[in-house]
Amino acid sequence: MLPIVVNVVLGMLGLALVLTCIRLLRGPSMADRVVALDLISTLAVGMICVYAISTDQDVYLRDAIVLAVIAFLGTTAFANYLGKGGQP
Amino acid sequence: MSSLILRTATRYIQPILVLFSVFLLLAGHNEPGGGFAGGLVAAAAYTLYAIAYGVEEARRLLYVSPQGLAGAGLLAAAGSGIPSLLYGKPFMTGLWHEGDVPGFGEIAVGTPLLFDVGVYLAVIGVTLSIVLNLAEEE
Amino acid sequence: MSNWLLTLPILIPLVTAATSLVFWRSVRTQRAAAVIGAIALLLAALALAARVDAEGIQVMQAGAWEAPFGISLVADLFSAIMVTIAAAMGLAIVYYSLWSMDRERESFCYYPLLQVLLMGVCGAFLTGDLFNLYVWFEVMLMASFVLLSLGGERPQLEGAIKYVTLNLVSSAVFLSAVGILYGIVGSLNMADLAVKLHGETEPVMATTLAMMFLVAFGIKAAIFPLFFWLPASYHTPPIAVTAIFAGLLTKVGVYALMRVFTLLFTQDVGFTHTVILVLSGFTMVTGVLGAAAQNEFRRILTFHIVSQIGYLIMGLALFTPLALAGSVYYMVHVIIAKTNLFLISGVVHASEGTYELGKLGGLYKRRPYLSLAFMISALALAGIPPLSGFFAKYSLVAAGLDRGSYGIVAAALGVSVLTLFSMTKIWAAAFWAPGPAEPAALGPGGERRIRAMMVPVAALAGASVAMGVGAEYFIGLSLRASAQLLDPNQYIGAVLGRNAL
Repeated sequence: MLPIVVNVVLGMLGLALVLTCIRLLRGPSMADRVVALDLISTLAVGMICVYAISTDQDVYLRDAIVLAVIAFLGTTAFANYLGKGGQP
Repeated sequence: MSSLILRTATRYIQPILVLFSVFLLLAGHNEPGGGFAGGLVAAAAYTLYAIAYGVEEARRLLYVSPQGLAGAGLLAAAGSGIPSLLYGKPFMTGLWHEGDVPGFGEIAVGTPLLFDVGVYLAVIGVTLSIVLNLAEEE
Repeated sequence: MSNWLLTLPILIPLVTAATSLVFWRSVRTQRAAAVIGAIALLLAALALAARVDAEGIQVMQAGAWEAPFGISLVADLFSAIMVTIAAAMGLAIVYYSLWSMDRERESFCYYPLLQVLLMGVCGAFLTGDLFNLYVWFEVMLMASFVLLSLGGERPQLEGAIKYVTLNLVSSAVFLSAVGILYGIVGSLNMADLAVKLHGETEPVMATTLAMMFLVAFGIKAAIFPLFFWLPASYHTPPIAVTAIFAGLLTKVGVYALMRVFTLLFTQDVGFTHTVILVLSGFTMVTGVLGAAAQNEFRRILTFHIVSQIGYLIMGLALFTPLALAGSVYYMVHVIIAKTNLFLISGVVHASEGTYELGKLGGLYKRRPYLSLAFMISALALAGIPPLSGFFAKYSLVAAGLDRGSYGIVAAALGVSVLTLFSMTKIWAAAFWAPGPAEPAALGPGGERRIRAMMVPVAALAGASVAMGVGAEYFIGLSLRASAQLLDPNQYIGAVLGRNAL
């Protein structure tokens, strides 16, 4: 049962990743791209979690936390930059 | 940036991140993590604070200067090799002391831990001195 | 514990740098720490050299992990000599910087960076592990990049970008070679590698790897045709920084070449060392021709660095005891002479306010001692007896004649003449020619500052003379060092234990 669920979830996350990448490439505004980047890292966090479940290794969860922190920080910094009137 | 949401969230997230960084530091002996990863997370925590409240506030929260922190970390890391010299062993030989701490159970303290703490401090110091200087330059 | 000494050349600069970082607000503390650290480093290096000379190769297995599993620190005579000379240059530069460095750079961690640079250099000289060598190269590169760009003037940054790009390429090649080597042999301890590369590995593979290391270290050492980053970047930073770069950084590359091509890659000497020989000839000639076309004090000197590198690897390429001894001796000689010439150009700048030969003049009359110091170093560099350069070149040329490599001998002698020519050019234009009637206005500190800057200059000029006068002792030392280099079994036995042989 578990392998099937893992594969399905990974497939869904992968599809979401592809769609987000399209958004990242097409833009059109900087804010769209920032949101897309944030979403990509969130999806990566999800993938790491799924992988942690499938391999039954909780150490991977640490990586997920760190990645989430860095992504959050990056997005905040981008928002800060855009808010201060950087190039849109 | 004067976003109320970010400021309020940061008040809660920042201490948790520092705590998590210490967890990474201590877990690093046998599992993934360690001084370098922990130091980066701690630096990220202070960077977040700097974004929410401004660089000045972040410096005040850090209490000591980033450069000083880096120096202290280097000293600690270098110093972790000294005890092995006193015991007549080659430089950087790990020395461990095991003991019971009431309420904690059995723990082991050794020079590799000191080394890792040194790395942790040095990474925080170097990263923050770069980030804060860049942020101030705007 | 005897092997304390091996860690000291790395620990002392590290502790000094860390201490100065803790007191980063107070420039005065940093200065004091830098001077004390440099003196301590020199003492430790001398003690190490004395012990190595007396007791043979010294080894320490860091963390008590036995070789080949842990990181070994190894000091043979060659390493010890290099550490000593690096420490001596460190002291000279630190003292010189006290008087010549501007306030802004001083307060921006100049001294700690200098110590980190010294740590990287000493670490590279002492390590017995190939990957560890890479790490020390990176430490050095990092510190040197910051030192090079510190202050952030535009030409400086342009030079720094070229410098860092080329060095990163070199690091990438180095790292790939290390990776492949580890994949094939399964070890990175140099002594262990020396055993395994001569036993079970196919010679073809070893030669291929040798060429990769030649490229990687060749870029760092600035040999032909990989030297162009050096003249583009070295003349831009403050003179004290240029002096220590010129004195030490490229020499670390040469040291690495000499280490791997005496210890690891001697399977096909006929091929590898011939390649090095050809490269050394081209390096000498292109460097000196580049210098002949220049008209600025520092630029002439930077091209000469390249030319001198040619001589250093010429000894390696000839691969006889005398030739390697010549290389070792030449290394010490050229570090002293070259660093001193740069320091002198700094004094000239402090006194006259320019590096352009066209605008200089009359220094001979106004600064006789400076002129004397310049003459000593310049003639030493060109190889005029009884100064240090003569004996260095003499042993190289003699080794070349022994081996019948007349082409390289001709090149070496021709380049000597051209070196003399461009030194004469500086002498004629800056010192001899009638100068401006009015001496330029002195900068802050004036005459006292220049007198203080003369102290290391005089000391290094004295060292050049001493190396020439005491050539017998120094040549003997170099011969012992080269005997160790040519007998890898000593090195292997010291690191892995006697039974490994």
